[in-house]
Amino acid sequence: MKKWQIFKQGVLQELPLQLGVFPFGIIYGVMAIESGLTFLQALLMSSIIFGGASQIAFVQLLSNSTPYGVIVTTVGAINSRHLLYSISMVEYLNKLSLSWRVMLAYLLTDEAYAVSIRKFINHSDNSILHYHLLGSGITLFVSWQISTLFGVWLGNDLPEFLDLQFIIPLTFIAIIIPMIKSKSTLITVISSGITALIFKSLDINFWIILSGLTGILAGMASSRWDKKI
Amino acid sequence: MIWSLIILCGFITFLIRFIPLSGIISSDLPLSVKHSFKYIPLAVLTPIIVNDLSIIENKNFFLIENLKLYAALIAIIVSIIWNNVLATISIGMASFLIMSNI
Repeated sequence: MKKWQIFKQGVLQELPLQLGVFPFGIIYGVMAIESGLTFLQALLMSSIIFGGASQIAFVQLLSNSTPYGVIVTTVGAINSRHLLYSISMVEYLNKLSLSWRVMLAYLLTDEAYAVSIRKFINHSDNSILHYHLLGSGITLFVSWQISTLFGVWLGNDLPEFLDLQFIIPLTFIAIIIPMIKSKSTLITVISSGITALIFKSLDINFWIILSGLTGILAGMASSRWDKKI
Repeated sequence: MIWSLIILCGFITFLIRFIPLSGIISSDLPLSVKHSFKYIPLAVLTPIIVNDLSIIENKNFFLIENLKLYAALIAIIVSIIWNNVLATISIGMASFLIMSNI
């Protein structure tokens, strides 16, 4: 496969996920304007941070007059899962030039990672796989900027019956279900889900990371019983 | 001040994504660590799903009347049967809207 074909594959595989991303971007844009940000601040935050859930948390906290230190910590905590994504990409991207690694790190978000890591795992011998992440990442970036623009434009004119935020978990369900292919992956999902419920009900900070780590450990511990399901 | 806050958050977010790729972490990672990578997306995305389904509200469990939970279960079944992103999202969303308006 040529570089542009892999790039195109990344774009095409990322496109269906935009059904979930686009409404999310609109929600962010609407909330950003409601929180008191200017048009330019709301719009450029999507390029500067480029992290959906953390941007929504940012504007939610800002509208509640939360101290800035708490906002920064929250954004960092929400995006800390990207550290795990990046670690899992090291073996595929570590031979690239610094400029490539900087660009791909910037584009390494939930949906781009979810699409490209499957490609990387299944074709690890291919040396131009990074074009796949470039394709998925740029697609997500463009979609996120356009949807933010729509949201900022719409402002408060969104119909109330549309609970667009629900599209986010549906998108993630569509991503992870096909990845459950063995007992250990199933145990990872169940254990991280249950511990997330426990940690959240106990109001423990960084519960997303803690339950994620629990899921990873449970998956590794149970891998000896692996049999495809 | 808001601009500084946005730029600082952007810088921190970029560092989180870039540090492992910067070369500080060795590429010769132990096999057990490499083995754990396949569990990362599942282990991190599942808690986000759990959170977005509002199962915990004000530290209490919200299950019986939680329409998002039912719609998510429908979406899971659709995903298992068809393994199609568009079908999973659209049928899950349609189920939720229908149940919300009954």
